[in-house]
Amino acid sequence: MNAAVELQTKVRAPRETELLREEKAIARKYHSRVPWEMVAWGLGNFCLWLAVWPLTLSGVLPLWAGFLLSTFCVAVCYLPSHEAQHSIIGVKGSRLRWLNELVGHVSTIPLVLPYRVAWITHRQHHGHANDPDLDPDYGNKGDTWWRSLWNGIKARQPGANSAYRTIAKQSDDPKIQRALVEAAVLTTTYYVILTTLAWSGHALEAALLWWLPRHIGTAYITLFLSWAPHHPMVEQGRYRDTRAWRSPVGTILSMGMEYHLVHHLYQKIPLFQTGPAFRELRHVLEQRGYRNDGL
Amino acid sequence: MNPLALLRRAYEWGPVLFGIGFVAPLITQSLDAASASAPMGLSNIQFGLAIGLMTGLIAKARGSWV
Repeated sequence: MNAAVELQTKVRAPRETELLREEKAIARKYHSRVPWEMVAWGLGNFCLWLAVWPLTLSGVLPLWAGFLLSTFCVAVCYLPSHEAQHSIIGVKGSRLRWLNELVGHVSTIPLVLPYRVAWITHRQHHGHANDPDLDPDYGNKGDTWWRSLWNGIKARQPGANSAYRTIAKQSDDPKIQRALVEAAVLTTTYYVILTTLAWSGHALEAALLWWLPRHIGTAYITLFLSWAPHHPMVEQGRYRDTRAWRSPVGTILSMGMEYHLVHHLYQKIPLFQTGPAFRELRHVLEQRGYRNDGL
Repeated sequence: MNPLALLRRAYEWGPVLFGIGFVAPLITQSLDAASASAPMGLSNIQFGLAIGLMTGLIAKARGSWV
């Protein structure tokens, strides 16, 4: 019996090495360029969101249109920062590092998501995807999408034991203190701006241009970036913690997350390359026993 | 008290501050925009402050707005 297992292992090992080599060779083709479209997306979206404020407050734009535009801006603001979190725009020490950090910090201001905390906790998510104790996104688990949304709302309540808060505090990352101070400054500034606007006669504008879009955007991002690609969040391992899936609302409305599996395998592949990379990697992934729900 | 300790204390009272600072004027201005009057003979701002403070205190006690 032992001899049979040993023989199987001996036969499998070279095949696995060969598959991994092929997988890496394909992946390498897709992570060699700067994703300028993500730079334009991140900075352009932030400028659009900023422009909504004076346009609405001056009456050029009706409040309902400002609300729709702002909600759109908040919902799509995370992904450019996500590229920056993985240093896809510019690695440390490179000529474009400043741009990487600028996009990272600026693009998630509408979401009031501090870049460095997002980066530290996101790294933990990659290292421990679907681990109930160590994955900060595990709180988004839910049997259905609406249950996941409800769990997310509960996790954002003032007294909730947020996994992000806990993990950020327990992190041994040398930049954690700086990240927490930046988070406190960003969050406090957000509340001061909301209160100042509200007491100067612009409470409805503050609610419909920032407070409500932020909640809607957070729910949307959580659903498509966290819940859907990892659902049902029970398995761990390189080819099992993330799935390829067919989104009922299509690739664009699900922000390309049907191919999130590729991102978990190769974090340096830019968002717009994950689809083509998936198609080329598919035959290797099939031999690896990856999860594919209808794609 | 250093600024961070002060901030921590402020966040402990976050729901109440949010109730007074944001919910109250939001209710007031929503009533104004709808040309509606507050019940029980209260002015819109009195009603907004009462609801904002009350919901904030409840949220602080429960640790949740929902």
